[in-house]
Amino acid sequence: MGQVIDLAVSAILLAGLYATMAYGLGLIYGVLRIVNLNHGGMIMVGAYAGWWLHFKYGIDPYLSLIPVSAAAFVLGVLVYRVLVRRLPRGAAGGVQSLLLLFGVWLVLRNAAYLLFTGNDQTIRTAYSTRAISLAGAFLSVNRVAVFGLALVVLFALHMLLTRTYLGKAIRAVAQNPDSCTLVGVPVERIYALTFGLGTALAALAGLLAATLFPFSPEFGATELLKSFVVVVLGGLGSVAGTAIAALILATVEVFAILALPSYLTASVGFVLLVLVLVIRPGGLFGQRVLG
Amino acid sequence: MKRVLPVWVRPRAVLVAGIGAAVLALLPFFHSNRYWHNQITETMLAVVAALAWNWLGGYLGQVSFGHAAMFGLGGFVAARFQASLGLPMIPAWIVAGIVAGLYALVWGHPTLRLRGPYFSIATIGVGEATRLICTYWVWLTGGSSGMSLPVQIQLKYQLYWYALALALLALAASYALRRSPLGLSLLAIKSDVDAAGDVGVSSVRLQDLVLFISGMTMGICGGFYASYYSFIEPGDMFGFSRSISFVLMGVIGGIGTIAGPAVGALIYVLLRNALLASYPQLYLGLYGLLLILVILFEPLGLTGLFLRVFHRKRPDLGVTGVAAEDSAAPATGVTPAPAEQRGAK
Amino acid sequence: MRPTTLAFALCAVLLAACKQSSTDQQQQPAQGGSTAASAPSGSEIVIGATLPLTGSEARIGAFYKEGYDLAFEEANQGGGISVGGKKMQVRLQLLDDTSTQATAASLADRLLNSDKVQFLLGTYASHLVEAQSVVAEQNHVPYVNGGGGAKEIYKHGYKYVFGVLAPVQLLSTALMEWIDSQQQAGKLPKQMKIAVLWENTAHGKDFRAGVSEFVEKHKGPYQIAVDESFELNGKDFSALLGKVKSANVDLFLADAHLPDYITMQRQYVTLGLCHKVQSYGARGSEKQAAEALGAEHVRNILSAVWWNAQLGTQGLTKKFVDSFEAKYKRKPEWYQAMGYETARALFLAIEKAGTLDRDKVRDALAALDVESIVPGGKLQFKQENGQQAIYPFVVQQNQPDGTSPIVWPKESAKIPGAPNSCK
Repeated sequence: MGQVIDLAVSAILLAGLYATMAYGLGLIYGVLRIVNLNHGGMIMVGAYAGWWLHFKYGIDPYLSLIPVSAAAFVLGVLVYRVLVRRLPRGAAGGVQSLLLLFGVWLVLRNAAYLLFTGNDQTIRTAYSTRAISLAGAFLSVNRVAVFGLALVVLFALHMLLTRTYLGKAIRAVAQNPDSCTLVGVPVERIYALTFGLGTALAALAGLLAATLFPFSPEFGATELLKSFVVVVLGGLGSVAGTAIAALILATVEVFAILALPSYLTASVGFVLLVLVLVIRPGGLFGQRVLG
Repeated sequence: MKRVLPVWVRPRAVLVAGIGAAVLALLPFFHSNRYWHNQITETMLAVVAALAWNWLGGYLGQVSFGHAAMFGLGGFVAARFQASLGLPMIPAWIVAGIVAGLYALVWGHPTLRLRGPYFSIATIGVGEATRLICTYWVWLTGGSSGMSLPVQIQLKYQLYWYALALALLALAASYALRRSPLGLSLLAIKSDVDAAGDVGVSSVRLQDLVLFISGMTMGICGGFYASYYSFIEPGDMFGFSRSISFVLMGVIGGIGTIAGPAVGALIYVLLRNALLASYPQLYLGLYGLLLILVILFEPLGLTGLFLRVFHRKRPDLGVTGVAAEDSAAPATGVTPAPAEQRGAK
Repeated sequence: MRPTTLAFALCAVLLAACKQSSTDQQQQPAQGGSTAASAPSGSEIVIGATLPLTGSEARIGAFYKEGYDLAFEEANQGGGISVGGKKMQVRLQLLDDTSTQATAASLADRLLNSDKVQFLLGTYASHLVEAQSVVAEQNHVPYVNGGGGAKEIYKHGYKYVFGVLAPVQLLSTALMEWIDSQQQAGKLPKQMKIAVLWENTAHGKDFRAGVSEFVEKHKGPYQIAVDESFELNGKDFSALLGKVKSANVDLFLADAHLPDYITMQRQYVTLGLCHKVQSYGARGSEKQAAEALGAEHVRNILSAVWWNAQLGTQGLTKKFVDSFEAKYKRKPEWYQAMGYETARALFLAIEKAGTLDRDKVRDALAALDVESIVPGGKLQFKQENGQQAIYPFVVQQNQPDGTSPIVWPKESAKIPGAPNSCK
């Protein structure tokens, strides 16, 4: 029974991270109908940014969250303005944008290789191995912090999307860009902002992940796939959907060890992805994921 | 003069292919550089793989990021059949191809309903899941230690001509798949699968066909690879970087064209060799850049570039791109809602 | 595209590539520090090798290069090695195989057929070595490697492949022997349960095989309760460690690369786990780990390695340690030692053979029986072992003061070592 509690706690904490990772991807797809294959690349960039600031200047990674996210936002807007905007929107641009952003990912990965070598890096802070005890289960301080921050971010996003003008504009564009133009919403600018926001979220998630795991320029590939699973499962545009989907994924992954040899639990996410896409592409909440 | 060839075959194409094949076949007798001999073999293998990928990715428009799954499966099946069941090399390749083709059908048939980017994402999942499961399946792959075939001294040298034969077959198949009436149906499916169905193109069957032969050819490539290196291991065979290399070769060479991916494969191998000595890690970043440039400015890749340079007419392959005609991509970035609902292409 | 145009274009590109590659050979790779010649000159022996200088094994590849460089430098100091009375310099033609198997094989091909090297030294990582050994065997070229520990490589009966790295199974054997000795001394209970966690690579497989072989042989005191493999660069081991926790084992034996070691140990510590004996295979004493985890969290971890600088108290080994320190200003680890010894073995064989003839050198290698820096002091490539060297591993244990003295085998042990005391 103790093991089940441990596993459940692990799953919950992991879900927070997954949700934050997935949200940026879902946002970009929901609004721009573009699959951001550079998502993994930005996760990696966020990790390296946090590490570098910690390594060079001793800044605590949690403190560098804001500057790193801000920088990633700017980078995202740039990528949109310079590259993505040239592609035809929506249906026609589907695979094209996929490949384009994949190219960006390759370039970023290579840049990381050149700058930091391929060796694995870790962020170590004073509290990296500290744990708090809760009802017999040990919780890593880092993981709890990441979970807490994930909740804060998701809440902030929810507020942004529902309470602010910008958020409403974003949601409107997601629903019907034509009508938005008619009513005077600056659609192009919304696109750029959303892309920037999605990129910033990815970098933020990457930084959080970097406090937990070692990473290298190859970081981001598995995280990207897990984000897909969450996005497809949970549908788009709803924080609740993403959170629940993240929880489902984390739970399946963690509890899989009871049924599968540990090595194969790594494949659970991928199998889940294919199954969900084939069986219920509309997601569990019936969102229009299949364009 | 009685026509021996089908109507859609241009005699000049056959002539050029014949001359090229003859030249390559006789080339080894005029030089004794083993290294270049082997390099050409490896290039020809890459050509076959790139062309096979293109049938699915270019002709059908379904970009796969997981083709290494068939490559690896074919390789290990061939190796296992040769090592444990004593099958000779060519039959082993054929068996490997069939198994790989069937596997492609297993995951591909239900997945091909998804259009565009969602199919691609699913293929990443398939590729990685296959890798993990096959690494675990020790009988088939030898686990992470991999599998070895008995070393045969002259085999590597002779595989050159096998590779040449495979490359010719693949080019012929590429040509046939594109220019025959079948190719027209494929183009119709790629452009608009529902409309194609409306005019009587049985898209499901045709997609399955392409899936099978693409997977089968990949499997045969895997078998060839196993015989060539005499040692294979799952991390290398099923790796994501291998899948990526197919995508890069196809897209940079010219996705959807007949021989574009062959050019892409050539460039890929050459560039990699050239950079290996001085900047080994750079080639991936370079490809990323090339990919970006291709997508933005020349969707038909190097082939499209050549066509422009020689002022030839660009074929309409249903490959949409910004630079195609006018930059009609509206700045407001809008596609009418009903079209979106129908299916992202 | 019109086929004619394509054909012409292809020819043009091919020609350009040929030209490029040949100019490439003239201005050689920076890594090797040598310019290419297309044929061995009269007074020098060109020996080819690849190493993973970039890619996943780059960290260790660089270490091996240090070992190779030192060996070549020493050999050339006295004017070279003596081949049948004549002194010849040795030159290393080194290429980067980017930790990829196909590249390793292709480059071996290139070194032999294009750069025309006389002999080959090995790369690092078993799957790369295995891929290259095929090329060496096909071309009848002696291939001496210090980077392939997997027994698989030496099971094919290749005649031209020689391995300086002892089998990875012996790593776990050494660990288990130390554990056994502790048990004999009464410091560990009579019945013990083991958890074996191994990365799913050739290395991990062999590690696990070594443990289970030992347990088989010593029926009774040991029982493997958890036997799980994990994917390289796994991020989350909490489920796996949870399984270990509920199995209530006494011994925690894992085999992992450095990043997985750090991740796993971090999660191990935060989960509040503690076992009487803990090991991560060859990992444990790395400074990077102590930095990433904190010295108190790597205490008492055992690691078994192919060689350790603490063996350098006298003779050949001390000479090696001193020259390494003089050149690189730090103590050598097993990677550099293996690289050094691999090159040195080849040089000795060439001298013994008295000729550069590949088959004669091959025979000299097969008959080699020399004093060596490896534990045990002797290096041989016996045929019954598939021409892989066999010698004991040394086991070290991390101490609170940051050092990691040898605890096994008894002859080289600085301290007896002790199990963890868990509350």
